[in-house]
Amino acid sequence: MAKELPGYGTINVPKDREVPFGAVTPAPVCTQDLFKTSNWRIVRPVKDDEKCTRCLICYMSCPDACWEYKEADDEMYWINNFCKGCQICINECPTGALSAVPELDFPDGVARLEKPF
Amino acid sequence: MAKVHEITVWARGVIMDKEARDVINIFAKAAQMDGKFAQAFDNYEDLPDRVLVTVRKYVRLSDEEIEHKYVYTNDKPEVVVIAEETIIKGIDILRGMEKGGTLIINSNRPIDDLLKFIPNANLLGTVATVDANTITGVRTVDFSGSEGGVDTTGIGKGIAAPLCGAIAKVTGMIKKENLAKIVSDVSGMERGYNEVKIKKLG
Repeated sequence: MAKELPGYGTINVPKDREVPFGAVTPAPVCTQDLFKTSNWRIVRPVKDDEKCTRCLICYMSCPDACWEYKEADDEMYWINNFCKGCQICINECPTGALSAVPELDFPDGVARLEKPF
Repeated sequence: MAKVHEITVWARGVIMDKEARDVINIFAKAAQMDGKFAQAFDNYEDLPDRVLVTVRKYVRLSDEEIEHKYVYTNDKPEVVVIAEETIIKGIDILRGMEKGGTLIINSNRPIDDLLKFIPNANLLGTVATVDANTITGVRTVDFSGSEGGVDTTGIGKGIAAPLCGAIAKVTGMIKKENLAKIVSDVSGMERGYNEVKIKKLG
């Protein structure tokens, strides 16, 4: 798409490189297999569905965008592969719906990597 | 050339960096007091370590002088020490190990539960667990003594002491009397030596 920029003339931006106004992109748009950090964690956040009010504070406070809200189900989903167990969401949750559970209590859920990171 | 025994210590970055570094330094010193030749390497491969990232520390032990000093990674570890139990789930800790190796885990869980998380556990000859977190829950977060610097905080105060006691009992490569001269927390080391649970695998 050709855009008119004052002082620069016309520039051509390909369709797939376009960003919306303010350069705010919906994140995460894709995930990188090389940056899996699930083997960093000692504990994982476990959600209590009855206490969760869908306030989205976990979604906003997570540094790795590991909480996802699906409107169709009206539920929060945890993204296992990139959660590094920092427990920020557990500390921020206003209703106490999240709790830290040791990772070895679960049989699955960690990407087993050949190298440390 | 005599056989070089390789010991790899896995820990979490920053929060257990000092403890794992203490394990390798204590091990190497105790072996040297016994008249053996030892090398201890802090992490180079895994730098920069960040909070909770898995890091490796290496020790080598031999009856003769170790000549290949510029290679610091242990390709074929004989003994693997895990300073935090969750690491067994996320990393292939036994990579490069030959059949009949030894695994020592800092954990209070039953050994059979831990072995479920290790798909290539048939390589192991001996598995041992020591509950170092209960014996002494101390974890010093300090970079004093890293990269060969002078350690001002004293070595073997935290979970390193019971782990070293467990290593001495399971492997027999170092002696408890030598350890007692080095570590700050001698009672923790004694408890680690006495309370380690050992399981021999076929």
